[in-house]
Amino acid sequence: MSTHRIHLTLNGEAIEAEVPGNRLLADFLRDDLGLTGTKRGCETGVCGACSIHLDDTVTKSCLCLAFQADGRQITTVEGLADGATLHVLQEAFMTHGGLQCGYCTPGFLMASAELLARNPMPSGDEIRKALSGNLCRCTGYQGIVDAVGAAARTLHGI
Amino acid sequence: MLPFDIATPGTLAEALALLDQYDEEACVFAGGTALVIALRQRMIAPRVVVSIGQLPGLSEITYSEAEGLRIGALARHAQIAASDPVRRHYPVLAQLFGGLANPQVRNQGTVGGNLCYADPATDPPSCLLALGAEVIIAGRMGQRRLPMRAFLVDFFTTALEPGEILAGIHIPPPQPGEHALYRRHLRTPAEHRPLANVALRFVAGPDGHSWKDVRLAIGAAVPVALPMDEAGRALTGRPITLAVAGEAAALVAERLEPISDSRGDAAFRTAVVRAAVRRIVAEAAGLDWTETT
Repeated sequence: MSTHRIHLTLNGEAIEAEVPGNRLLADFLRDDLGLTGTKRGCETGVCGACSIHLDDTVTKSCLCLAFQADGRQITTVEGLADGATLHVLQEAFMTHGGLQCGYCTPGFLMASAELLARNPMPSGDEIRKALSGNLCRCTGYQGIVDAVGAAARTLHGI
Repeated sequence: MLPFDIATPGTLAEALALLDQYDEEACVFAGGTALVIALRQRMIAPRVVVSIGQLPGLSEITYSEAEGLRIGALARHAQIAASDPVRRHYPVLAQLFGGLANPQVRNQGTVGGNLCYADPATDPPSCLLALGAEVIIAGRMGQRRLPMRAFLVDFFTTALEPGEILAGIHIPPPQPGEHALYRRHLRTPAEHRPLANVALRFVAGPDGHSWKDVRLAIGAAVPVALPMDEAGRALTGRPITLAVAGEAAALVAERLEPISDSRGDAAFRTAVVRAAVRRIVAEAAGLDWTETT
């Protein structure tokens, strides 16, 4: 089996890698690059724990092969914070009880960040729809929905 | 995942040449949302995965009053849902593609991949049947067109011949007075895979009470989405009442040969389809389906 050379921008940094054709994007990020913030959950496209941004849209890295990242921009949960300063969504998830065990949190953060980028002041219903591809077994979701709404208000200085 | 090579052709002609070269050892890969799972579960074991996701010119959505809508096979579900001409002229499709699977899958999956994979538990096929869609297929000898009902062959099977690639879908322009609805039943809201769905398309007659050119289609509950011509005729040229809606629903239920599995046995799926048909007809006619007849 031959390998495939890919060039991509990962969390703002240009990188180049040699990947086997059957390398899953989630495995490439976690096992080859050590970015373990992206979680493997169901690995069948249901739970959303592996959500990342591919260019400007959120996608599930367990449904993607690494070669598909060639020429694209990827943001993982590691790319959300600015150095030691957490992203406003990360702060809001902590403040509003948007997590308990935390396993689903990176996926929820990435789906929420994409939502706020295209819809800066979403309604509760819009938040729920945007997060409908992510599962959480701990929180009952209300804390997560509250956190995303609070982050939107913070970004608007409300 | 078993090992395979990736080929990334730069043009459709190159992609077709690769399929010709590797024949049954090749598989066509678009967005990957379904195929990655099939590859991991070893349901398919190609030697060469021919990626077409990067091909230019296969994701455009164009509309003209004379020609109708053309959707490139690589158009992503979210892109179709957000498309201006789709929202304006085919709101039923904007709603369908905006609710397909889940947001992440809508951002990555393509309509062509969805149709070629031919998993019955999905949204588009029944609605595309009802809208009178046809597919545009590219092969080494040129393009051919097929009506959607000829393209959908069976459970995970389409009329694509080895070496062919789905290039796009064509949907005729809506006629004056045309209406279309799509409704589905999910086992749970989080499951994202319909257990049964129904699409209805008709042209309202001048009297406002009867319909013509009625097309009703059922999906997900059956191995392959099916047009229900007899029920369509039963809804043609007469005032639509709850009794008529019930009659069409009974005609569909009588002839249905549903999938029977752990997600829903045949009797349950038939009951769901019967209710869904009665409700969609009633809703389209402005009737309250919660009333008994």
